[in-house]
Amino acid sequence: MNFGMVARVLGNLLLIEAAFLSIPLGISVYYQERGAILGFLLAMGIMGLIGLFLANVKSKSSRLKAREAILIVTLGWTLTSFFAALPFVLSGSVPNLADAFFEATSSLTTTGSTVIPDVESLPKGVLFWRSFAHWLGGMGILVLTLAILPSLGVGGLQIFKAESPGPSPDKFTPRIVATTKILYTIYLALTIVQSLVFRWSGLSLFDSLVLAFGTVSTGGLAVYNDSLMRYGSNNFLVYAVAIGMIMSGVNFSLYYDLWQRRFKQVTVNSEFRLYLAILLVAVVLVSIGLYGKVYESLGETIKQSLFQVSSIMTTTGYTTADYDRWPSFSKGVLFLLMFVGGSAGSTAGGVKVIRLLVAAKVVRREIAKTLHPQAMTPIIINGRVASSEVVQGVTSFYLLYLAVFVIGSLLISLEGLDPFSSMSAVAATLGNIGPGFGNVGPTATFAMFSPFSKLLLSFLMLVGRLELFTLLVILTPSFWRE
Amino acid sequence: MNIVIVGIGKLGHKLAEMLATKDNNIKVVDVNQAALSRVVNRVDVLAIEGNGVQVQLLEDLDMKKTDLVVAVTDSDETNVLICLTAKSLGCARVAARVRNPEYANQIEFFKENLGVDFITNPEYDTALDVARYILRGYTAHMESFASGKVGLFDVPVQALPHLAGQKLQDVDVFGQILVAAVYRDGQVIVPSGATELQEQDTLYLIGRRETVTSFTKELAFLGERHTTRRVMILGGGRAGFYLAQRLLASGLIVKIIEQSEERCNYLAASLKGVLVICGDGTDLELLQDENLAEMDALVSLTGNDEENLMLALLGKQQGVPKVIAKVSRSNFVPIIEQLGIDRAVNPVLISAGEIVRFVQGGQIASLSLMFGGQAEALEIVVREDAPIIGKKLSEAQIPKGLIIGAIVRKGQVLIPDGSSMIESQDRVIAFCLHSEISSLDRLFYPKQRGWLHELWNGGKGPRKSPSN
Repeated sequence: MNFGMVARVLGNLLLIEAAFLSIPLGISVYYQERGAILGFLLAMGIMGLIGLFLANVKSKSSRLKAREAILIVTLGWTLTSFFAALPFVLSGSVPNLADAFFEATSSLTTTGSTVIPDVESLPKGVLFWRSFAHWLGGMGILVLTLAILPSLGVGGLQIFKAESPGPSPDKFTPRIVATTKILYTIYLALTIVQSLVFRWSGLSLFDSLVLAFGTVSTGGLAVYNDSLMRYGSNNFLVYAVAIGMIMSGVNFSLYYDLWQRRFKQVTVNSEFRLYLAILLVAVVLVSIGLYGKVYESLGETIKQSLFQVSSIMTTTGYTTADYDRWPSFSKGVLFLLMFVGGSAGSTAGGVKVIRLLVAAKVVRREIAKTLHPQAMTPIIINGRVASSEVVQGVTSFYLLYLAVFVIGSLLISLEGLDPFSSMSAVAATLGNIGPGFGNVGPTATFAMFSPFSKLLLSFLMLVGRLELFTLLVILTPSFWRE
Repeated sequence: MNIVIVGIGKLGHKLAEMLATKDNNIKVVDVNQAALSRVVNRVDVLAIEGNGVQVQLLEDLDMKKTDLVVAVTDSDETNVLICLTAKSLGCARVAARVRNPEYANQIEFFKENLGVDFITNPEYDTALDVARYILRGYTAHMESFASGKVGLFDVPVQALPHLAGQKLQDVDVFGQILVAAVYRDGQVIVPSGATELQEQDTLYLIGRRETVTSFTKELAFLGERHTTRRVMILGGGRAGFYLAQRLLASGLIVKIIEQSEERCNYLAASLKGVLVICGDGTDLELLQDENLAEMDALVSLTGNDEENLMLALLGKQQGVPKVIAKVSRSNFVPIIEQLGIDRAVNPVLISAGEIVRFVQGGQIASLSLMFGGQAEALEIVVREDAPIIGKKLSEAQIPKGLIIGAIVRKGQVLIPDGSSMIESQDRVIAFCLHSEISSLDRLFYPKQRGWLHELWNGGKGPRKSPSN
């Protein structure tokens, strides 16, 4: 294990995070929030010192193998979450360390669950930091570090693979740095366009920026206690956010294909088609439950249903209505969507549509094989045969996801909540969604959990963000054996 | 530069490794998924699964924006066909591997009439390399730079026994010749004055051609002089064929031992004057019957690395002065030379070096890869805006792994010391560890347009990287 190099990369990561803290610091200076300014400065100082120390650790070689890359990604996310929590504590906004860690992890992993009942009382700088952390985490903060600091001389592919969502993350240019730059350009462009649209719809500059950060990264932390419910009647904004979320749940390489005028690549992409199909069917199903019972007009039904469906499916977690009071059929559909997620290569979390597609094809193949045991039936995705590695990876991912979900739910049910609340709390954090149902529903928070459960749920957010294997392999003894 | 490599065998893989710098966007094409995933996991390139001969595939790769296609599949005909297709689709330059001896005399035709810009024949290049080594009268091996004005050559310390145990700063036999590197136990050391020479070391000396030649002549008296007359080649494959042809032309007595009867007939028919023995090269009695001990050189070129190695060691044990073995895995070259085998040749490394030299064309005028790619000797034409211009070498922050061996200015060769300065349009012959290639960039190419540009373009870029 090349610990020197691991330390160097992590040190640089902390330095970059400290540098990014200067933006919320600026916001706090603008709004003259004394406590927050102090908190940010202290946090930057601590991160800077530790970062400098780690960045100067000597290493024998700059070679990184898969093992080091996995360690860097896991430790990197844990450390950045921990240090992202410092401003919350040091500014006095969230004095409890477990609460602050939960909040910071929820921000960075783009989950969007909160433990703060009254977010409106927080300083603007701290609010901005919560949403900006979404933005940093959405696309992968380590890949960003490598793109900014090529002088580290690290082969980025292993890290890119460990950090990017999806069963087989692919670069679409020869050099990994070029791919990262294209992805970040798309990300930045989406952010700018969305903030302009939100600003145009009547929001303040601050509100439109944080809303864009939360939307494009599929994060979902809001700056108001009622999430987006206050905007429920602003039809333009509701549809704009919904479309923004749907766009963020699409594989970003498709935008690159559009840019390169390869339209056919986009229209035949089987994951994209299934993503839209699931979205459409879910909207229809949820609307059936709602129409005439909760909402009288068809327009209102479709608007609310579309918003909630896209928010849950893309794992964002904004709400414009208290869906916890909806009929159980609609709630059931939303709950199931928590196990779908967005597309691979997007900023969305969850299981990912492509895995669903592969799993469905595996099931269909098994059924066909009972009739024709000798039949050769390869799994074809996007016109290519999926390798058996990918297929196996997907199946074991599903099993592991289920296992983590079950164990997590059991542990959380020790809190004494009703089963649906406990299960949805685990599904919402593991899938990086945000709010769940019942006691953790859209109008509630995660504040009532014990510190142990808060840490457990934070851990689940990291496990979900890093797609299980990257984090869980660290916990196996054989990882540490040379 | 946008480069497409078709065929990811050993050569394709090595090429991808060597060309994958931040200035090159490399795509590799192969039908074999396993080979592709191997290269993608090690090198920053884009893998494309498919048959490189297909016009559709080449069109999708956008040949008009491609600067170079290198076709190194295992079929000569496929390679040439790929080159022709790529060229007609608008690719700027194409290179192919063609190794069938029957095409050897139409290489020029391929180049001039078919428009294939560069053709490499690993076995032929290997044979040339071995022949050069055998035909030399003394043990030093010379590489020349700056159209022959500067020479780089290796001398074992054993040839200069009084040097062993001395520190480099106390030694003055070299005069106007610089010790560029010391090769010890499979490792390359860039020496300082305090480096103590050991008996098993090999020294790499760099200097003006005339000085070097007179020095090596002197050496020839010091060391034992061998005029190679009789050479035994084990394995009559392509490399064996070329080598025999070459040695024959120089008037040597050549004996080939080859197992396949059919191949023997072919060799005997096409190489008049060579004694072709049909038999098993690993059969010790056969070798003794054929007077192995009397040979001046033994070259084992069979298709099997282990066999080549064992046979070369056997030759050494039987007292053959020069033994040479072919190894197909480039990583093994340093280890094998450590075992007492005089020279290990690796066709892939030789060929890859040729192609890289062709690719880098203008920027790096000449390049040799040494020690299995651990170090490079290169000739750089200094640009007007190179940061190193106007600084004394002692103040230019030259890292340890880099030695400026010679400067050629207006046809004059200067052997630099700490107070020398580099001017624009100089040709600099540098010896550089592979890990220090990036500092070459820092010294010889200007930093471009501030830190923001550096941030975006990945920093330290010598040339502006062409985007897609």
